Amino acid sequence: MSDTAPAPATAAPTPPKRSLRFSPRDIINVAIFAVIYFIVVFAVAMLGVISPFVMIVTLPLTPIVAGIPYMLFLTRVRHAGMVALMGVALAALDLVIGHPWQSALIIIVLSLIGEAIMAAGKYRSTWAAIWTYTVFSAWFIGPWVPFLLDPAGYIASYGLEAYGEEYAQSFRELVTVPTILLMVLSTVVCGFLGGLLGSRLLSKHFRKAGLA
Amino acid sequence: MTPIDVDGTRRASALAVGVEAPPRPRGLDPRAAIVLIVATSVVIMQVDGVRWMPAALVLVIALTMWEGAWRRLVSELVTVAVLAAFAFWLPVVWQHPVSATLGVGAAYMLRFVLVAAVAAHLVATTTPTRMSAALRAWHVPRPVAVMLGVMLRFFPVVANEARAVLDAMRLRGLVGARGVTRHPLRAVERFVVPMIAASLRGSEDLSAAAILRGLGSHRVPVPLVPPRFGAGDLLVLLLVVALVTATLLLKGL
Repeated sequence: MSDTAPAPATAAPTPPKRSLRFSPRDIINVAIFAVIYFIVVFAVAMLGVISPFVMIVTLPLTPIVAGIPYMLFLTRVRHAGMVALMGVALAALDLVIGHPWQSALIIIVLSLIGEAIMAAGKYRSTWAAIWTYTVFSAWFIGPWVPFLLDPAGYIASYGLEAYGEEYAQSFRELVTVPTILLMVLSTVVCGFLGGLLGSRLLSKHFRKAGLA
Repeated sequence: MTPIDVDGTRRASALAVGVEAPPRPRGLDPRAAIVLIVATSVVIMQVDGVRWMPAALVLVIALTMWEGAWRRLVSELVTVAVLAAFAFWLPVVWQHPVSATLGVGAAYMLRFVLVAAVAAHLVATTTPTRMSAALRAWHVPRPVAVMLGVMLRFFPVVANEARAVLDAMRLRGLVGARGVTRHPLRAVERFVVPMIAASLRGSEDLSAAAILRGLGSHRVPVPLVPPRFGAGDLLVLLLVVALVTATLLLKGL
């Protein structure tokens, strides 16, 4: 690796490599962290199966917990393109577990934004990493996208009107633009907390073990 | 195009040396499977996706039977049956906001389950090499093609580690509803941190092996089993055409 030489303490940190060339190790890193990220998201969702009450706790917990592997991944990002590649990996996994295709697109777009944030932090800044993860965690809205695009249409397609106009009406009032914004906001806030937790755990566990 | 010819000669010379080409694996060509997953997702996630559900279910049953994965077929059928019962039968026999809410939730889940079941065919029948070869044939950028192949290889590794950590936690009595509700973060930290550490250790070995097998090389590898559109793919394509026609005709009625 050419950029492992420590920069002089007074100078700016080593500039990131401008090239988009991925070393095999980069590719393997992206692949393994994408898999870990997804298994963590899945495992936490499975914890929710224990009981419905636990589920209420685990739902906001998911973006927080998933911050641990994602932040660890970001410490291994050394040049442009890796965050975007991670986005492609997660989008593929997202499609495979049956989430809507819009959700996969959202993941890629958010990863590109994250790429820009990391680039602004010269791929070394912890805060840039935290913000990257915060933005990225907005993807948790993904599975809801087709529903949110046309809630009335979706409900109508189930013929709920037959079970009471009042009920259908209340459903329509519940699923509105403010509710959507609230959902996005809550996942983003949880993502921010996840970024903080991830970076704290990095210094607590992984840096000591030489993994960060 | 020349690259294909070059591939052909190189493959022929490999075969001349006495390397036997393995038999063509079962299941769709990975490229056909990817197109099918995206197409299923697009039609099912539409507002009137409900009417595409029978077609998707027939496709899932056909693919899983072709593969001979009978246990998966049973679990898929049971899942779909339970969700469909919640979505379409419960609200009819019990008219109540609760059943209606359950129904909307189940119908929404049903979409995911059907798309995931089509995708399960890709995951179950595609080896990492086959995946990379198929994506190379599509001229997907090299990092993406390699990465998606590697991911298929890593999934069982990470899943094993996760299972091992969960077992260890269970032995120490750390898994339970009480622990998770009282200290959700601590419970999760105890699970996630060792899992990541163990997986990363495993990944070191795997990446060393992969680099030895030429992952970092800049020559284009030649697959022994070239990805081709085969008879099975044709049959599935015909089935899909029939299903799409039937669905569209039924709408007209």
